[in-house]
Amino acid sequence: MGDWITQSSQLIASVEEPHGAESHGGDHGDGHAWVSWEGLLVYVAIVVGTLFVLMAQAKKGLNNRFFTNKLTQLFEQVYLFIENMCVGTIGAHGRRYVPMIMTMWMLVFSGNLLALFFPTSPTADLSFNLGLALVSVAYVQYEGIRANGLFGHLGHFAGPKLGGFLALLISPIIFVIEIVSELMKNVSLSLRLFGNIDGGHRAAEAMNTLGAGIYVPFGAFLLPIKLLTVVVQAMIFCLLTAVYLSLVTHHDDDHGHGHEAEAGHAEVAPAH
Amino acid sequence: MTGHIFGLGIGLAALGVGIGLGMIGNGAMQGMSRQPEAIGKIQVAMLIALAFVELVFLLTVFIVPGSLKI
Repeated sequence: MGDWITQSSQLIASVEEPHGAESHGGDHGDGHAWVSWEGLLVYVAIVVGTLFVLMAQAKKGLNNRFFTNKLTQLFEQVYLFIENMCVGTIGAHGRRYVPMIMTMWMLVFSGNLLALFFPTSPTADLSFNLGLALVSVAYVQYEGIRANGLFGHLGHFAGPKLGGFLALLISPIIFVIEIVSELMKNVSLSLRLFGNIDGGHRAAEAMNTLGAGIYVPFGAFLLPIKLLTVVVQAMIFCLLTAVYLSLVTHHDDDHGHGHEAEAGHAEVAPAH
Repeated sequence: MTGHIFGLGIGLAALGVGIGLGMIGNGAMQGMSRQPEAIGKIQVAMLIALAFVELVFLLTVFIVPGSLKI
């Protein structure tokens, strides 16, 4: 399973082979710290374990009417941020997708945060990002099928409704192109995250080699920029997932595209 | 020799993407200063546009070396 994802990520971008065979562990400086599959799992375990502990702590504060637990308040702010994003992008029915998008945001964000202090991290690895993008796109398909039905969702790929001869001629072409673009969403989502985080690592390494002669870690000065990248990339990943969701689910409400956001703010907590 | 050409290509890609990012930032900032109440929406649209432009450079950096077998 792991080999399969790693191999398919090699299809996307020809990154270097894992260094496991050469027993080249913990290389700093020239080589790139590229971990094996099991090594990646350690980092994933760090991220998931930290998130689990934090969420379990935050959950303890939920039984109050007002949240007094600091951690609960923090996660409430995160929730409000994600909810704003979903409602603003998808529309009034965007609240339905908040749990999934918030999970992805926290996973990507903590993975990126780990990348600030460690030579590698889950999101600095193309295989993990590809897995995440596959989950995201598959979730979009699932929600599209749930909103429009299977044939409605497939018909959504075939473009606008054309009549007679034109439909036979053009719709298959649009269908194929849409399927390809759907597959390319995986590539673009995973490669964007990977390129930003891994590029940050490479830039820090390059600047460290620059200052190695005078013992100044110039790469450390990149930390503020990398911190910005961490926040923005986590947000962009979820924002794009929300945009894809809004593209496949915009049929089930009848008001037009322009005032979806306002409608979302006006209707207070519709009953789902 | 291929290495030199490859470096020049990366530089050109960075140049184009830099210009594109700058233009997006320029437009977004002008829009935000003219209409401060729309900052939230403009920022979201700006970030999406930034992500798409950035992807071009990432594709250049990560896919072109593989397809050229450098």
